[in-house]
Amino acid sequence: MASIQLLKSRIRSVKSTKQITKAMQMVAASKMRRAQEATKASAPYTLEARQLLTRLAAHMSVTKHELFIVRPVQTRLLIVIGADQGLSGAYNSNVLHLYTSELIADDKAGIKNKTIAVGRKIAGFVSRLKDTETLGVYEDLPDKPTGSELRAVLDTAQDQFLSGAVDAVDVIYTEFISGMRQQTAVMRVLPAGFDPIEELVVVTDALYEPSTDEVLAGAVHRLIGAQIFQALLDARASEESMRMVAMKNATDNATDLIDDLTLAMNKERQGAITQELAEISGGVEALTE
Amino acid sequence: MQFQLITLLGIKVDRMAYELIMPTAAGEIAVFPGHEHLVSLAVPGAIVVRYNKADADEDLDYYAVSGGIIEVTPQYVKVLVDEADSGDDIIEAESKAALGRAIELRDNAKDQVELEHARELIDRHAVRLKVAGLRRRRRNL
Repeated sequence: MASIQLLKSRIRSVKSTKQITKAMQMVAASKMRRAQEATKASAPYTLEARQLLTRLAAHMSVTKHELFIVRPVQTRLLIVIGADQGLSGAYNSNVLHLYTSELIADDKAGIKNKTIAVGRKIAGFVSRLKDTETLGVYEDLPDKPTGSELRAVLDTAQDQFLSGAVDAVDVIYTEFISGMRQQTAVMRVLPAGFDPIEELVVVTDALYEPSTDEVLAGAVHRLIGAQIFQALLDARASEESMRMVAMKNATDNATDLIDDLTLAMNKERQGAITQELAEISGGVEALTE
Repeated sequence: MQFQLITLLGIKVDRMAYELIMPTAAGEIAVFPGHEHLVSLAVPGAIVVRYNKADADEDLDYYAVSGGIIEVTPQYVKVLVDEADSGDDIIEAESKAALGRAIELRDNAKDQVELEHARELIDRHAVRLKVAGLRRRRRNL
């Protein structure tokens, strides 16, 4: 009887866990959709920055600007985007795996590293590393980022590159390919680069204020900002997608466990009933004799 | 002329406008249809839009914008900024309170990251407050 009570209590416990994982699955699905929509919405911004750079390229040698200059890499800044929370499958560990493999490759090539960590899980890991300098830690970014959260990251990256403190800036994040497929990636944002838009009609007699150089710097700044913002949105969509799958698996496992426990409890109960019946019929037989 | 206000969160405005007053690095500029081709840096401030020539001052629209780039041609004006908030969505009292909180955050910042974050918030809410005030005065609210 004690065993039946125990099984009943375990079933109750697993059922409440299932309710939680199911709710988390639904929340993750909704957040993933929002992040995907935000990624689409930010596309015109990137396109406009590219169009502007294409027009500027008609006036001047854009690639001679200091943000485009390719130098031999002696120090590299890595912006690592992860999550604040766990329960998202292998999301954080995949990012950290790529990050450590980049650190090992740099170490072999004699390249020094600096890191900006985005997300509590990444920050915790980076704080334990000895050979990389941490330039900033950004935690608790809102579910719906507006872009202003990244201004400090962008300014730091650009200042570091322009001052020569770093020779390249890379973003490590998780690229969102589809709801079922995400992959970690390294994206180079500095030195800057862009694909010109060929079909664009170039107007050459424009007035640039305060100067073409400053407008160019502004346009490049926007383009890099958009790239980092899109990486953040991709990472957010991937995180929620992986959390959704992890929670779905947890819900399915809970369902299986409830079935197994219910079966075990029914067997136990049936056994107890059979035992009771055997005892009754034994008693009756003893009385009739 | 076609007026497009493009932010990281999407296209905020895409419609015909008659007059635009915009904050640039060289000061505020007013743009009318047929303006010469100009590319300029936008600074945090207020964009004021008159959609039709006959619109009264009470009908003007206001947007609080962060820094960015403005491109003007005789046919269109494109403003590329990180963030833009419509004056209609800004509640002055809330912005005032948020500015106070941001100043407090700056004064108590423990590290550079917190300090930078606080400065951004101060810039953002100061512009929002300015836009809310401008809108209230013009519309006699």
